[in-house]
Amino acid sequence: MNIGPIPASLLLMFTSSKSHWLRRPGRSIGVAAIGMIAVALLCSAEVRAATQPTAEQKLKATPFKIAWEAYANGNSDIWIMNADGSGKVNLTQTPNINEHYPQISPDGTKIAFNVDAGEGRSAVRSLWIMDIDGTHRKKIADQAREPFWRPDGKVLGYLPQEYEKFAVIDYYTKGMMFYHLDTGKTEPHVNSANLRHLYHPRFSPNGKWIVSTVHGGMGFSHAILLIQSDGDKIINLKIPGCRPSISPDGQHIAWGSGDHEIDTAPIDTDSDNPSVGPWQMRIQDEKNKVYHIAWSPDGKFVSFSRGPDGEGDLQKKGTFQAACEIIGVYATDWNIFAVPADHPRVVNLETCGPADVEQLTKTGDSNKEPAWFIPAKQGKE
Amino acid sequence: MIRFLSAGMLTAIACLALLSGCKEGASASSSKAAAQPAVEKTASGIEMVSLPGGTFTMGTNEGNPDEGPAHKVTVSPFWIDKYEVTHDQFAKLQLPDPSHWQENLKTPVERVRWRDAKTYCNERSRAEGLTPCYNEKTTEWDCDYSANGYRLPTEAEWEYAARAGSDSLYTGGSPEALRQYAWFATNADQKTHPVGQKKPNAWGIYDMDGNVSEWCEDVYSATYYKQSPAVDPKGPPNPEKDVKRVMRGGNWSAPAEACRVTFRQGQRTGNTDACFATDFCGFRCVRRAPAQQVAQAQPAK
Repeated sequence: MNIGPIPASLLLMFTSSKSHWLRRPGRSIGVAAIGMIAVALLCSAEVRAATQPTAEQKLKATPFKIAWEAYANGNSDIWIMNADGSGKVNLTQTPNINEHYPQISPDGTKIAFNVDAGEGRSAVRSLWIMDIDGTHRKKIADQAREPFWRPDGKVLGYLPQEYEKFAVIDYYTKGMMFYHLDTGKTEPHVNSANLRHLYHPRFSPNGKWIVSTVHGGMGFSHAILLIQSDGDKIINLKIPGCRPSISPDGQHIAWGSGDHEIDTAPIDTDSDNPSVGPWQMRIQDEKNKVYHIAWSPDGKFVSFSRGPDGEGDLQKKGTFQAACEIIGVYATDWNIFAVPADHPRVVNLETCGPADVEQLTKTGDSNKEPAWFIPAKQGKE
Repeated sequence: MIRFLSAGMLTAIACLALLSGCKEGASASSSKAAAQPAVEKTASGIEMVSLPGGTFTMGTNEGNPDEGPAHKVTVSPFWIDKYEVTHDQFAKLQLPDPSHWQENLKTPVERVRWRDAKTYCNERSRAEGLTPCYNEKTTEWDCDYSANGYRLPTEAEWEYAARAGSDSLYTGGSPEALRQYAWFATNADQKTHPVGQKKPNAWGIYDMDGNVSEWCEDVYSATYYKQSPAVDPKGPPNPEKDVKRVMRGGNWSAPAEACRVTFRQGQRTGNTDACFATDFCGFRCVRRAPAQQVAQAQPAK
């Protein structure tokens, strides 16, 4: 049982061999009294632990839902569930179509996602949107990847594939496009011609920046960048890793700082020249990979995917072979988890308890790419 | 005066003789060059050196423990790329280029995972109407050595091509001569360089000793030379997932001693790493020689 923090001075009192006063005669009553106080404190800590809400309870108290992708019954579909992992619903149920990478519109009414069709290098990855209940599917573009919503919900950004032939690798992109939902027209980012090999882009909540990873492109070896959303300014945030995401208040960034770590750190996206401060929370797992960080709408939780290293399973129809965190690659034994993100600390997933983490999916069937949202009704309130 | 003229004439004759000697030397060199392996241009315009196959001493007893024992190996005829695979060749096949340095399209690709290299081989085979060597449906992309398409060299093929008939551990004969043949830590300025700028080895193959290290097909084993077969060795069997594969040749960051033709390293394939960042991992392709060339080589064996 987690007994919570015990005052260091108290621990020192009982463990230090130099506490001579404890051994002095005539102090036995005092010692007994202190001992009783200590026991009382420990008991109260245990009581606190027993009454401390678990991550599951905290998640259950929120109005949020999470969309994610999972491979079940021979294909990849998009699912939604409550934030505590209950109420799972398969939204797509398309046995011959593989849906991936759900991204929910800020008002919680639409889902943008990728569809993979075909095999090998003749496969096509296309971009679609549908209503939050899975109806009204509409294709936006072929050879289009990794959609991301502008905070006003009127524009859907995406990354065009670099060449016509298919490759599963995530940085196989060139340029950046904006699809306007009201007109149905698409226009390039003003600096699109100079953008290459970006992946996992996200708008900052103020709409000023697009945060993205780049690999072997734009003169960068590998970097996490802030790209001005309506200009040509590009800032290298100089943090290692990939797949960044800005918190809903625009004051924190979360990203995968390695295969086995996710970090959060302060950042001021209202600034004209944002930079990243020292890390505040670190989620780590020495055995498994942790990827696909996503903030809850109130910024109090982060969710992520977690599972063992691998490079896919070619027996799974419609999937590809590469690192298993990549879109379109089957990830064996991968599940979705959530962690409260409300105070600085290290969360070691191999040792932490139910107060620190909740496992939201259990099937291990390539559960990846969680995306939080406020269901439309609550969102409008 | 006569004596003087005679002396002058003698000098002139001596000079002529010397010049003649030089010319003779040049023609000897030309005749050596004429004996060099032929260069073939493939359907996609890539130059390959056609190696006749033969027997050579692989490894050394004077290097690291994994470089020995030195042993006789026979390889069948094959063609090998004259240059390391470059960015423009990757782009032509519409493949994602993961490289660190891409400003010059004629620099070699690097940060290439083992499977990226194999993907390139298969795509190049398809582009030229050849049969791909790699079975993409198997976990390790098993190699069909009898197919006529492109593949990575075996470690033995690589060393045979790198030695180019020489017994020296260094191309050019010594570590000091390496500057003429290779981009390595001493002269590379911490980056790759366009292929073909240094001298080729005696068989006309460029950058075998530097620029980027090159993937081979074999599973890496430090003790393999103790039991490897004498004819066309293909490395030990694959004992587990994500084993190390052989990588040969020096690179822009390697010291001279790591550029000797026998130097071996085992490198993780990077296949499960989405952002493989080892920026000295490149490759070049080989393919089996046409049947006619193989038949001609048989009597020589």
